Amino acid sequence: MAKILVIDDDAEFLEMLRVLLEKRAGHQAMLSADGQEGLEKAIESPPDLAILDVMMPGVTGYEICRALRANPATEEIPIIILTARGQPVDRQAALDAGADDFMSKPVTMDELMEKINKLLARQQIAKLVPFTGTVTLLSLRGGVGVTTLAVNLATTLAQAKGGHACLIDHSVSSGQVALQLGLRPKPNLNDLIQAGTIDAEKVQSTLIQHDSGLHILASSIVPLAGQEIPPDLTRNLLAILDQQFVVTIIDAPSTLNRATMVALEATDLIGLVIAPEAGSIQTAIGTLGALKPWSKKVRVILNQTMPGASPPTEAIERAIKRRLMTAIPYDPAQSKAISQRAPLSTTKPDSPLAQAVRELAQTLE
Amino acid sequence: MENRSSPTWLVADFFTHSYRISGRLNVRHRLLADQLNNPTSDFLQIEDTYISNVEHPADIMASQTSAILYKKNVTTVVTAQQQDGLPREHSYGNYFGAYTRKVFMTVPSFEIEGYLRLSGKLDLRTVLTSGTDDFITILDGSMRFSIRPDISFSGGAILINKRYIGAFCMEEE
Repeated sequence: MAKILVIDDDAEFLEMLRVLLEKRAGHQAMLSADGQEGLEKAIESPPDLAILDVMMPGVTGYEICRALRANPATEEIPIIILTARGQPVDRQAALDAGADDFMSKPVTMDELMEKINKLLARQQIAKLVPFTGTVTLLSLRGGVGVTTLAVNLATTLAQAKGGHACLIDHSVSSGQVALQLGLRPKPNLNDLIQAGTIDAEKVQSTLIQHDSGLHILASSIVPLAGQEIPPDLTRNLLAILDQQFVVTIIDAPSTLNRATMVALEATDLIGLVIAPEAGSIQTAIGTLGALKPWSKKVRVILNQTMPGASPPTEAIERAIKRRLMTAIPYDPAQSKAISQRAPLSTTKPDSPLAQAVRELAQTLE
Repeated sequence: MENRSSPTWLVADFFTHSYRISGRLNVRHRLLADQLNNPTSDFLQIEDTYISNVEHPADIMASQTSAILYKKNVTTVVTAQQQDGLPREHSYGNYFGAYTRKVFMTVPSFEIEGYLRLSGKLDLRTVLTSGTDDFITILDGSMRFSIRPDISFSGGAILINKRYIGAFCMEEE
């Protein structure tokens, strides 16, 4: 049960929301028809989420939003701005005032509940994910679901970190990250390679953004023959992104090329992804040897990419001489998620894969 | 046949040359177009009024519980829902023989694009001169502020005061 503050001068709407929040969703509703009074209530007893109308006599929703963000007791509260003024300029004004989301009236109660649940879930994840830094996900054997894990982990972290997360498709010719997220990979990493030297502005203009808030440095779908990522570019890129984002995820290619080695050096954690099959385990044993210089920051993630029986966890751990950090279960919804270009972490947060990735995000340290 | 009851209150953005006035209009279960085109009254009374300068359209510079608008000075009205701005001849399923044409027009401070629903023979001049209605309705419209094209407004319907139309262009089929 969450405590939800609603400030709106429309008495009928307040009553409707009280019924919706308390009777239907089981939350505790704090209602106020007066902006100033509502603000005082919020500061006195901070809610878990606030819904603000913009157009109210005396004080506007934007002003309340800024006041909530300026107060240490309420600065982290998710805020939905709800208004009859529904133009793009109004959406921008709401986001500029510090709102997390914006809805224009009339709204259906289902739409509103969906937003409320999404923001509450994000807030919950944010509390549970303390990790900041860079994670590289890697497997020298293809087809074990590295990109799927990277996309789901990155979108989970983006939701937890209020969009301050970046995912790099660290390859010159895959474009898989953008494809899984349903984004057009333009601009992409190749634009940075062609530019030669990079700075923060250039990097920022090369990022594309997903609805989850995640920023993506995509790679091109069209292969560039004979092209490699210059190691210096990776070094500078990671330094720049470290300044701009709380978390960076690197989806590394299946080769330990020079740029990948630079990424592994700079990263805080290396997630070695393996599948429960002999070929993948054999490759992992060899890879762990190659990753010896960074042994302390290597974590092994078992990803069950296929249905059916698999070797016992203990047997896998014995073979690789390491404990598994986590095991991601097989999720039948994953193949559909790829074809729909919508990661399960955002579309089906209760699916086995999304839950396992959320637990993985919570255990990163 | 569609079974839709008209609302009593309708929220819309009313634009004059320099101001955006948002508020609720009591349409008394009738159509917004009827109120705007009603020749027996020069005024519109709107409630819960919020006024912004068009150059800063999200900044509320004044708010009042009630306001009167002089209809002759209203250049456009933007509604979120298409059905809220439809004229009587095109509302409630009266679409027989109707077709749409993409149009572009200018009014002071704004350039407007959208779709005009027509019935009968296509004649640019007739659209502007026939009938006694002061406002014509553009569907799925968007309007850009002429001197700041980054400022734009869009809606299911835009009702435009014919007296302020400068250029009126229609795309050929």
